[in-house]
Amino acid sequence: MLLVLVAGVLTAFVQQNPEADRLMGVWEPSNGRARVKIEKIGAKYYGKFVWLKEPIDPATGQPKTDKNNPDPSMKNVPLKGYRMLKDFVYKGNNEWADGTIYDPLNGSTYSCTIKMTNANTLDIRGYIGVSALGRTDIWKRMVVK
Amino acid sequence: MQIIEFIAPKKTAGLIVALLCAATTSLRAQTDKPQTPADTLTPQVEEEDYSQYDNVGFAAEGAKRYCSPKIEGLSPAKLISLGYDYQMGYNIKADTFRRAGGFPAIMPDSANVLTSNGMRFGCNIPVISRTNLVWQMGANYWEQRYKFEDPGALKSPLLTSLSEYGLRTMGINTTLFKPLDDVKFLLFQGSADLSGDYQFGKFMPLKYTKYSAALIYGKRTSEKKQWGVGLARTYRVGELNYIPIIFYNSTDVANKWGTEILFPARAHVRRTINSRNMLFAGYELEGQSYRLWRSNDQTGFNLRNEDAEIRRGEIRLRAVYEFSLKDFIWMSIQAGYRINARYDVDRLSGGKEIYRAFGLASDAPYVMVNPLTNPLYFNISINLVSP
Repeated sequence: MLLVLVAGVLTAFVQQNPEADRLMGVWEPSNGRARVKIEKIGAKYYGKFVWLKEPIDPATGQPKTDKNNPDPSMKNVPLKGYRMLKDFVYKGNNEWADGTIYDPLNGSTYSCTIKMTNANTLDIRGYIGVSALGRTDIWKRMVVK
Repeated sequence: MQIIEFIAPKKTAGLIVALLCAATTSLRAQTDKPQTPADTLTPQVEEEDYSQYDNVGFAAEGAKRYCSPKIEGLSPAKLISLGYDYQMGYNIKADTFRRAGGFPAIMPDSANVLTSNGMRFGCNIPVISRTNLVWQMGANYWEQRYKFEDPGALKSPLLTSLSEYGLRTMGINTTLFKPLDDVKFLLFQGSADLSGDYQFGKFMPLKYTKYSAALIYGKRTSEKKQWGVGLARTYRVGELNYIPIIFYNSTDVANKWGTEILFPARAHVRRTINSRNMLFAGYELEGQSYRLWRSNDQTGFNLRNEDAEIRRGEIRLRAVYEFSLKDFIWMSIQAGYRINARYDVDRLSGGKEIYRAFGLASDAPYVMVNPLTNPLYFNISINLVSP
């Protein structure tokens, strides 16, 4: 009973962290080609494509799939709904880290950190090995108008 | 073959190798986690109504979109590159060396080069890499060693210098990509290269550094096309030139074919086998102006006193295969035909460059006109590519 209670308290603590949960919502990368919904699962944050500017693959006339994934079993998975941000943990000071970002254009997964520069802007930095070898993109929060 | 390698030939050491190794090691951990369907789709995804995300807008007023420096299907940019270039045998005819100050000319010479080869090292590290500005700094080192058939029989001081010291280029470069909005952008690249027959222990004064630059105004008209026009100050054909440049990258609808063009520096047609295997066919202009700095040990002739520079320019017709060895470690293999455009020697006038503008500004003769026959060449490099 005590374990259940402790687990419940911990779960409640994990699930209610307003500062960390500011990351949740719908965001658009700088190129405007996609929209990504960031959700919380357990204590970590994940993002999936929920909107694509060009949802249809002109080569096939079908909805775009993850055709550049090096894993053949993944090539037919629809991009819409694809979880491209994974495993982010809030580190304090407006920063989420320990996660990865997936680029469907080349099928590569990069280490990634997220910095919230203001309530509606994220600096998303994907990098290879060391942070210096990377690229930062600015994502903007989207809301229903 | 990306947007940022333009004017100066890409051409530098232990720290970079260490970075390459460190990156490779740490990448293994991050990329050995394949994305599985279970990872990527959750039960709630299938139930979610995605149409609700069609009509959303920026939460903040004044938010702006910027175009990316890349397009879909473009070959990946090289952050660090270590390569080896090998030219097969050819003949070089060294012209009569007309000396300064009324000294007797040195008679012409002809010799067979068995091979000329050398290491090529380059890096381009992002300093600022943001949506609204990309700034990279790079360094490069290229060397070309000449193996003559009979080096002991060489008489021309030019040939003996090439045989003893070879040629080197060492430099730094910077690239700025500034998107103006979601379509238009400016691109600048500048480089400073020290090229000559110097060696590390006997370095050449920095006053002989050559400066190149290019500025392009361009448009990224779709996810698969970008173009631009601009002006370059370049030594690609050996001597200094100011030339217009045209930039055009494209990928077809099916992501199978494309072009990567920076005319006249290079132009390639790309055939994408998949996102990690690409074939290219085309050409690249290579060249530089090399200061003749070393005293010649074999002939006792002091080239340094001649205020002379080799204007080297060549066209490389080539086929290139680029592929991912493992994640972000790519290999590039190229084979082609090296066509000599110029291997002539200029004498500077009181230390000043002769700007000919293809004969429009000056018709000053070269002090040596040296024809080269054309060999096959091969180049292999291993590269750490950019996100």
